[in-house]
Amino acid sequence: MKKYFKILFLPILSIGLFSIVYTQNISPKLGLDLQGGISVILTAEEGTDQELIEQAVEIMRTRIEAFGDVQEPEIAISGENSVLVQLPGVTDQEKAIEALGTTGLLTFRPVLDSSLTTGYSPALSLVVNPDDPEDVTTVVKPGVTGVDDVIGISLDDNPEFESYILSVNSGYPVVYQLGPAELTGNDISDAIAVFPENEWIVSLEFKDSSAEKFTELTKKLANENGEKRKLAIVLDGEVVSAPGIAFDVDPSVGITGGTAAISMGNADGGEAANNLAIILRYGALPVSFERSSIEKVSATLGEDTLNLGLQAGLIGLIIVSVYLILYYRILGLIAIAGLSSFGLLFYSVISLLGEYQGFTLTLSGIAGIIVSIGLAADSYIVTFEKFKDEIKIGRSFNFAADKAASDAWKTILTADFVSLSAATLLYVLAIGPIRGFALALGVATIFDLMFTRLYTRNSVPAVSGISSNSRLFFPIKTKDLVND
Amino acid sequence: MIKKLFLGSTEINFLNVGKVFYRVFIVEVAIFIAVLTMSLIGVLNVNLSVDFTGGTTYQIEAEYTDIDIEQVMSSNILDVSRYQTFENSNSIIFRATENTQDKETEFLYYLSNKFDIADENIDFQRVGPTFGDEITAKGLQALVIFLTLVVLLISYRYEFKYSLIALVALTHDLFLVFSLYVLLGLEITPSTVIALLTILGYSLYDTVILFDKLNDSIKTSKFSYLSIDSLNKTFNEVLMRSLNTSITSAIPIASILFLGNYLGLSGTLSDFALPLFIGILSGTYSSIFVTVPFLAKIINK
Repeated sequence: MKKYFKILFLPILSIGLFSIVYTQNISPKLGLDLQGGISVILTAEEGTDQELIEQAVEIMRTRIEAFGDVQEPEIAISGENSVLVQLPGVTDQEKAIEALGTTGLLTFRPVLDSSLTTGYSPALSLVVNPDDPEDVTTVVKPGVTGVDDVIGISLDDNPEFESYILSVNSGYPVVYQLGPAELTGNDISDAIAVFPENEWIVSLEFKDSSAEKFTELTKKLANENGEKRKLAIVLDGEVVSAPGIAFDVDPSVGITGGTAAISMGNADGGEAANNLAIILRYGALPVSFERSSIEKVSATLGEDTLNLGLQAGLIGLIIVSVYLILYYRILGLIAIAGLSSFGLLFYSVISLLGEYQGFTLTLSGIAGIIVSIGLAADSYIVTFEKFKDEIKIGRSFNFAADKAASDAWKTILTADFVSLSAATLLYVLAIGPIRGFALALGVATIFDLMFTRLYTRNSVPAVSGISSNSRLFFPIKTKDLVND
Repeated sequence: MIKKLFLGSTEINFLNVGKVFYRVFIVEVAIFIAVLTMSLIGVLNVNLSVDFTGGTTYQIEAEYTDIDIEQVMSSNILDVSRYQTFENSNSIIFRATENTQDKETEFLYYLSNKFDIADENIDFQRVGPTFGDEITAKGLQALVIFLTLVVLLISYRYEFKYSLIALVALTHDLFLVFSLYVLLGLEITPSTVIALLTILGYSLYDTVILFDKLNDSIKTSKFSYLSIDSLNKTFNEVLMRSLNTSITSAIPIASILFLGNYLGLSGTLSDFALPLFIGILSGTYSSIFVTVPFLAKIINK
């Protein structure tokens, strides 16, 4: 009785789990490569503080959530200084990159001059042809380097140096000449858009440690007039806004208390104010990242690959089954029942892991599963071959089956231990796609051990009692088998 | 013959087999070293995927003519280094070397216009050269730790000498796949690297099962050490299992390859399946024909 319980335990468990999964309509959570979407790997400079990267990930999460329209985004630290962003289901590349896009640096830079006073880039000067007063050309001012000589904007924007930046944020193009960055997004603790009376205001709060820096900066600016009184908020080399310091700020005191208010007018019902507040709050990540990899998979390719994997798996399973039946007869049936139950259990566990643990099945995971079919089938082959060897030396079917099953367990334990340690190692050390593969292989190996110990170990002796006609077990006559 | 093979009563003298295959092994090693040196000094081209070299790939599905492809190849937006088409489908893959993000997007729109397909239907992949390096570095790290564990485990369970033989068999499989890839000019992708790691697992699994069997034979024989009898008994008996195992393991993988080829799908799954397929065959071969010569040498001593 106990023996039958052991034999049936795993098949019943797998059927039970599968029916739960089936009736609850739970299916494996598909990875990006199987359902389409975008995957971006962002890499920070080597040696970046882990804490900063964690902060960046938090900010990206909030930003993607605020963006909406992205189902189940996954943003995770991968490796030492990389962030893996996976946006499944998103096939509109531009949109997704926009959602992540403003990964750059937010800086506060004093305005030194702008095209609002001159009408053209402050980096340029006009040269009038003395013979023809209408023939006016622009040349780059002496001492200015690294700017385009027609429109006069910096080719490369480095926030540590003076640069000329084009902005179209006010609806018309303005070229600002900006000084080096004085503060960064890292100095801000909060920003919100408010509507106290008559107009929208972005209320800005600096971190305690940065409040003093801001006061010093505003003291300096309050001394100036015109464009030089402005402080540009620059995100990713683009001037988002360039508010001027109010005229009632005392140059000897500056703006104190670590707070500032940016007047935004009332024209658009607060949209501009809200956008600016969001940029100030989440806009800048504390570190700058480089996109070291972008992968975009269209939904159709994902589907094709999934189908290919499933069909290949199924065809493989059928051919292996036919082969096992032809070769091992009744034992083959045992193996097929075991493998099917192995498959059901695997499917159910992966579905459940996806539902409750967020485990996603990727392409490499499918590859791992297909590989594990081979490994699982091998465990049966090892057992059956040992069985054959025992019968060959004249043992009774019952004894042979028992001995083969217990010997095979030891062999498979060693071999599976190797597989399992390989899978664990791969999982711990690897990044990205290798992990999915390692996990699938590891889970499959554990299942294989369970099946060998409980199912195979007990079912092979059980069937061997049916008959001692070797025709039922092998494609060969008893006489030939034993006489040899 | 088949009956004998089935019964494991073939009477092959593996001591002689060992001598023959030792020579085969030496020839193989010579080829491996030649391929390795030639690819290191650049005579042979190692076809590394965009993941290692950095760059972009675009995969589209559209009606096309040879002229279309020529035009794309000579378009000046990106440096398109290679393209790939498939017999049974309308897929085309273009590969370009690294460039700025703007240029890459421009090329995307160019393709979308040219082949009259929506740009969201173009599969686009961009990688910096570091990504592939990282995978390789992690892979190598895993490899070294794994091999050390293998040596310890096999030495503990069987004998230290056996662990060295297992290492030789493993290395043989790795080099065989690598050499084939280089000689046939096949593209090496991160999936290939993963597959190589899996091959190690397979090959080792095979070798461990064999050593286990060998151990059994030694226990039941009249000697307490490895003798010609137990060597021959083991390998004659194990031939069929090895054959069966590699057949059942290779079938699912072969079905990925053939089905993928039939449907005109190339991609990660096939990238993965090919080296695995070669590796399984090689693993089965090495677990017998690379281990036997060395076991024979132990006996001769």
